[in-house]
Amino acid sequence: MTTHPDDILHLTVCTADDGGVCLRLVGELDWESAGDLVETAREQLGRQPRPRPAVHLDCAQLSVCDSTGLSALLMVHRDVTAAGASLRLDNRPAFLDRMLALTGTLDHLTGTPPARTARLDGDGTDAPR
Amino acid sequence: MPTVTVSWLRAPYPSFVVDADGGVVEVNEAATRLFPGMITGAWLADVAPSWLADAHSRFTAAARRRADPPGGHPAEPGPAGVFPVQAARGPHGGRMFAAHPTPSAGGDVAWWLADDTDRHAAEEALRGERERALLLTEASSRLLASLNVDRCMEVTAQLAAEHLADAAVVVAPRSGRRHAVIAASEGRTSRHTTTMDPTLVPGLAEALQGFPPVPSRWIDPLALPGWVVPDGWDGPVGSVVVTPLPGHGVPAGALILLRRDGHAAFTASDELFGRLFAARAGAAVSAARMYSEQATITRTLMAELLPPRLHHVNGVDFAGGYRAARDSERIGGDFYDVHPGATPDSPSLVVLGDVCGKGLEAAVLTGRIRTTLQAMIPLAGDHQQMLRLLNGSLVTSRHTRFATLVLASVRREGGRTGLRLTSAGHPPPLIVRNTGEVEEADTAGTLVGALPEVTARSAAVDLAPGETCVLYTDGITEARGGPLGGEMFGETRLKAALGECAGLPAEAVVERVQMLASQWVGDRAHDDMAVVAITAPHSTHLTAVDGRTRGRFTA
Repeated sequence: MTTHPDDILHLTVCTADDGGVCLRLVGELDWESAGDLVETAREQLGRQPRPRPAVHLDCAQLSVCDSTGLSALLMVHRDVTAAGASLRLDNRPAFLDRMLALTGTLDHLTGTPPARTARLDGDGTDAPR
Repeated sequence: MPTVTVSWLRAPYPSFVVDADGGVVEVNEAATRLFPGMITGAWLADVAPSWLADAHSRFTAAARRRADPPGGHPAEPGPAGVFPVQAARGPHGGRMFAAHPTPSAGGDVAWWLADDTDRHAAEEALRGERERALLLTEASSRLLASLNVDRCMEVTAQLAAEHLADAAVVVAPRSGRRHAVIAASEGRTSRHTTTMDPTLVPGLAEALQGFPPVPSRWIDPLALPGWVVPDGWDGPVGSVVVTPLPGHGVPAGALILLRRDGHAAFTASDELFGRLFAARAGAAVSAARMYSEQATITRTLMAELLPPRLHHVNGVDFAGGYRAARDSERIGGDFYDVHPGATPDSPSLVVLGDVCGKGLEAAVLTGRIRTTLQAMIPLAGDHQQMLRLLNGSLVTSRHTRFATLVLASVRREGGRTGLRLTSAGHPPPLIVRNTGEVEEADTAGTLVGALPEVTARSAAVDLAPGETCVLYTDGITEARGGPLGGEMFGETRLKAALGECAGLPAEAVVERVQMLASQWVGDRAHDDMAVVAITAPHSTHLTAVDGRTRGRFTA
């Protein structure tokens, strides 16, 4: 079922293997399409029965994600978490992983444990946690 | 000699026969009713309106010329035996008539009159409507040509004075305690402001609130205050109309039309047309006002967001370069600031960042970040705490707009320039060594403004004299262009370019990076690009740096 007939970003809603909702992102997640993702995710989240299963974003065919796109991913994560569900970013392309790592949002969005973040000592040297 | 039958005499249309000299030969009943003095034997000129007598003379003169042309043969009559002539038109007894001549035997002319009043009125009305439609078109194109409020009001006054009245006065809505007043008459336009009381002009206070116009017959011209009458107006005012200039939501002002005493007073049709004109003028003035308000807001914000000029601070060279996105919506994406340390010994804080999104929202977020960081300068020794506090002040439940930024504390101690660098979700700074090597500062952290918690890892970097630390936004590395048009400039190219900048002063490094990125994108659209270079000075001898440091920094 295609919910948004946009040339920039095609959003397809399907059912994930674990029974949760899966949004398949095809194309560019940017300034123009970020709002559509948040809106569609909210709409789908509202339809899920409780307890809510995980919400999947299938990023296999995502070609671009700019800062507004990342902002939308953070918003979807916030909505999903607030609804008591968890968010899964499946099949992340390398560029998306790089961006999430650079901005320090990979752990937050994917739930993997922090890799190299550390508290800062008063003298500015690294102190692994 | 009668040339007609009795049936003709009873025809319902006025008709009569006049001989070549202008004497009336025959008259029917309808013509006698119309022209009571017209009887056989009377002179046409005595009993008929002059336009009709003149038409007869012209017709008979033309007929004589045709019958006996100066140099040759008589002209042939037309197909129906009638010389082609146009009907004469003129008024009589408050109505309009068309008089059609028909030549008869012996130079007599039979005239037939048709009542043309309605057709004439329709034609006049049509002509009037066409003129008004043309005027409205002209008004629209002249008014919409400018988005300048003053110019729009001037054009409104000028057009109204030219086409609707003898003078026109546009009164702008109150600004403070004053109203701007633009008066136009006889091609002259003047402008002044006044603290007048609008209730003294009947209908003006209402018009300024957008209420319907007051009919001219309700306004006593003698009761008008002096400011309404334009300078140079002579004689009394005959009639006045006050019409609102309707705007978008709020009225754009009021239009006062004045006619001289003796000139035709405003008819209902004039007033209706005045309202049509005012509607267009009001829309144009209102659009101009909204545009100028928006432009002012944007200008104010932009002025606040412009990056500062960087210079030599506490013994270290700083240079910054900013190239705004070509897309005008993208104001306020990237920013940078340098906050000098309070004393020559305390570190200076450099901030360079990139706000997610574009337009006013991004600009507002940028402003908040810069202000918050400035207030936290006393905490500049602890980047992590600064980022935590900044994050706390930015996070809201309404959105997940964020910023990525780099903090750099720069301190000069003796010959050593020490930097502490912290990236908050931002590309790490690049260190240009004197050897031409380019290192990435080992710092990483989370972006600010969207997550409940932020963490960051700082890097301590020493710069030898002549070495440079470069902070940049991804507008540089993600600039698309190159020989094929769609390729990103990328970190590899940036590092290679910086490798060639070893030993260059800060300003030259910034210029070089900006130039390369600009050449890369060519004239394509691009995002904001910001670069800051921090360069340890080549100070091998005592330096008296910008007069404030008293030469205490020696290598």
